[in-house]
Amino acid sequence: MEFYRISGNRLGLREIPPLLAGLMRQIPVPVGEDVKAVEDRLFPKPSRDPEEGGLCEDWKAHVEPELHSFFLSARQVVEADLRGIKEEEGGFALDFPAGHAESWLNALNQARIALAAHHSLDEAELARSAPMVILNERDLARFQIHFYAALQQWLVEIVDFA
Amino acid sequence: MAQVKEVPGSSTRDETALDQPWNVVVHNDPVNLMVYVTMVFRKVFGFSREKAESHMLEVHHKGRSIVWSGARERAELYVQQLHSHLLLATIERVDS
Repeated sequence: MEFYRISGNRLGLREIPPLLAGLMRQIPVPVGEDVKAVEDRLFPKPSRDPEEGGLCEDWKAHVEPELHSFFLSARQVVEADLRGIKEEEGGFALDFPAGHAESWLNALNQARIALAAHHSLDEAELARSAPMVILNERDLARFQIHFYAALQQWLVEIVDFA
Repeated sequence: MAQVKEVPGSSTRDETALDQPWNVVVHNDPVNLMVYVTMVFRKVFGFSREKAESHMLEVHHKGRSIVWSGARERAELYVQQLHSHLLLATIERVDS
C-alpha cells in the first residue's frame, strides 16, 4: 500500500490490499454505540470532582449533543470519500481532498477508541504489534486499531495543521 | 463540518467559583497516538512543537499534564475542544 499527495490538494492511497480496503470501509461505521464503556470513553465527563455534578449535567445536556453532531459529521465526510474507492490493477485505490484530512483523523480516532473500549483492550495489549494471524474478533480489533493508527500517523505527518 | 462552539451555562455556579483560576488537565490514555496528541495541543493552544511535545510526554510518563490555567469559562471551552479531538481532559481547581 502506498500513500501519496497529489499537487497539494488531494491525498491518496493506492495498491490497497482487499482486506485493508474492507477495513477502511469500516472506519465510519460506529462500534458499540450501545455499550456504556464506549459511550463513556467517547464522551468523558469534564470533571472528576464529585462537587462538579452540576457541570457534568450541563455538559451532558448541552455539550454532548454538539460532540455527537461533530463526530457524525466527520464520519459522514469519510463515508462519502470512501464511496470513491475503486479497484485497480494491484489493489484498490482512493483519493480525497486534503481538506478532509481532519475529518479522517477524527473518524479514525473515534473508531480506534471505540474498538479499544468495546473489546476492553488494555495498554499492554495495545502496545503489542498487530497480530499476524487473526483468530477472533479481538485479534481483528487489534489489527484494525494498528492499521488505523498507521493511517493517522500518515495524515498527521503529511498535513501541516499548525 | 459541524463546529463545536458553545460552552455549558454557568448559572448554577457562583461568582467565586468563576473568579478563581482553573486548570485544564489532559489525562493519559493508551489509544491516542503521541503525534496526534502533539498535533492537537498545537492546534488548540497554539503551542510550539517543543512545548506541545513536552506536554505530550508529561501526559505519557506522568499520566497527566496541566496544559492551561485561567478563567473557568475559557477552561471549559478548552476541555470541550479537547473532547472534540477525543482527548481525555478535565477541569480542576488550581488549588486541588
